[in-house]
Amino acid sequence: MKLEREIEVINRLGLHARACASLVKAAVQFSSTIALKHDGQSCDAKSIMGLMMLAATQGTRLTLVVEGEDSQQAVNRIVELFSDRFGEEE
Amino acid sequence: MLSLSGTGIGRGIAIGRAIVLDHSHRQIPEFTLSEDAVEDEVKRFRDAVARARTGLLRILDSIPPDSPPETHAFVDVHLQMLDDPVISEQPVESINHERKNAEWSLKTHADTLIAFFDGIEDPYLRSKKNDVHQVVDRVLAELLGHTVTDLSRLDDDLAGYVVVTHDITPADTVTLHQRGMTAFLTSLGGPISHTSILARSLHIPAVVGLHDAVRYIRNDDLLVIDAANGSIILGPDDAVLQEFRDRQQAHREEIASLTLLHHQQAITQDGIQVALLANIELPEDLKLLAPAGAEGVGLYRTEFLFMNRSQPPGEDEQFETYCQVLDTVSGPVTIRTLDLGADKQVDGGRTDGERSINPALGLRAIRLCLNEPALFKPQLRAIFRAATRGNARIMIPMLSSLSELDQALELVRETHRELAKEGVEFNPHVPVGGMIEVPAAAISADLFARKLQFLSIGTNDLIQYTLAIDRIDDEVNYLYDPLHPSVLRLIYRVIEAGRSAGIPVSMCGEMAADPEFTRLLLGLGLREFSMEASSLLQIKQLVLNTTVCDLEKTAKDALQCLEQDRLRNMVEQLNIDKVSTV
Repeated sequence: MKLEREIEVINRLGLHARACASLVKAAVQFSSTIALKHDGQSCDAKSIMGLMMLAATQGTRLTLVVEGEDSQQAVNRIVELFSDRFGEEE
Repeated sequence: MLSLSGTGIGRGIAIGRAIVLDHSHRQIPEFTLSEDAVEDEVKRFRDAVARARTGLLRILDSIPPDSPPETHAFVDVHLQMLDDPVISEQPVESINHERKNAEWSLKTHADTLIAFFDGIEDPYLRSKKNDVHQVVDRVLAELLGHTVTDLSRLDDDLAGYVVVTHDITPADTVTLHQRGMTAFLTSLGGPISHTSILARSLHIPAVVGLHDAVRYIRNDDLLVIDAANGSIILGPDDAVLQEFRDRQQAHREEIASLTLLHHQQAITQDGIQVALLANIELPEDLKLLAPAGAEGVGLYRTEFLFMNRSQPPGEDEQFETYCQVLDTVSGPVTIRTLDLGADKQVDGGRTDGERSINPALGLRAIRLCLNEPALFKPQLRAIFRAATRGNARIMIPMLSSLSELDQALELVRETHRELAKEGVEFNPHVPVGGMIEVPAAAISADLFARKLQFLSIGTNDLIQYTLAIDRIDDEVNYLYDPLHPSVLRLIYRVIEAGRSAGIPVSMCGEMAADPEFTRLLLGLGLREFSMEASSLLQIKQLVLNTTVCDLEKTAKDALQCLEQDRLRNMVEQLNIDKVSTV
């Protein structure tokens, strides 16, 4: 099943390296393909370099595109990470 | 004796001998491979990546269990980068197709990646190119046959030594810390690089961003480092050395004594009571209040309840959350109404999809709330209902005109009427205050004060708006200056406006947490400070050691001071017998 979801980067530092790392860690748990799109750029959420090079700052809106058997679980998990601000304090 | 200066990380004083490591000027050979050598070269590259990987895993294993949690995360980031085909596979293509040696293929590929990062607008995300450098350096070191920072050559016991180098990776920071390294100095790095963040949490004094200044330091030079201001004294004489030893001792004793202060009331030497409150975002932050001895909450940022969800939280959900906070805190809880805006959006909030070009000046905070009462009213209702449980205050952010304030106050009254009519239990006497963070409101603070029950100065935005500086932008943030005379005058104006109107004035920006400014602000008449809980005890200690009546004249004189340098001297005067900063 293919799912699309809009998400916003709410943590102050944006998609910084540690945030990207936890995103990759979560994404590789799923068999679905997981992509994040921004401004016509699309990257594989299982690649830390791709995520870092998206350069998504606080307030950036991204489109999450997930396709595969476990797409619903993958969407839930990834949305949760964004809402938790990747564990960032402020 | 020679003085050097850079960006200080953490606080405290370190004294030690230099160990100078340098791996920055590594020569990268470039040559074209014969056709039959290509396959071996690819293997050589892959082996180097594998060895670099093993090296990182070994570091990960050796992290002591009591290290800060982010230590693992930093090393993990490098492992993931190493595993990413962008780093570990793409150079293989260049070895295969261009028949260039592995070092050169990796180096040119890395240069392309780094150039991409250099083009990123956000300074923090841009700085992540250092991670690319560091990961690539590991592989290069393996290819060239020597260890990354030559750490293996170093004695296992680094106590009393200051490591001086081009750059240190977070992983090496941990290794060196385990071996007892006293401090480190680097040419690269900035206040928000990973290594610096780690150094702060491991309490390693460091000075980064020294650029070419590190070249003055030779092996075994005696160094005195004052991390708080980023200064280094090379080859100190005996008198200087003794002075710093004394300061170091005082600093240690102070850290130990601070924790004893949490029960004590914040009263100055001349008997003036000062309120020290904490800033919070989520109910989880409440557990930090008691150990810090906070008397209440001076800023509760409610927008985090609203973010990253498809619908804003309903009135009842907000009610529950506010009750949780009010039930836990016995002192006042200052609830700031939604500070969402163009840069912090509720999902499914505004539908036009247009983003403001300049979010800080856009439709945010009270502007957005007045525009969308359907978003604002449930929050007001939830606060008034929860306020029967504790000592709640409402704070309206981003006020810039009196008509906005009038509209907001009318909504408050309307909400009261509705709740009363419905027969719902609520507290109609919740004090309403305003956050003064727009220069327009600071200039006319006296007019706002007539209609409000308290004022709170938000210095982060007030400084940014007054000086027209985006302080996240590293090209202009050197101009961000809380001691700018215009900023100080606005702050004083707000304090005075509150005093004439007989209402309390507090400060909840970062300036309130900076010990450099505590005495100046006390001298200007500020009596309420709200800050991150972690800074509170240090500020309390300063309050306890201050006699306000001795400060008032100098503080007021500072407002008349035109030259920035003289102003700085005056502030130093105020702080002269200040106990060393922790």
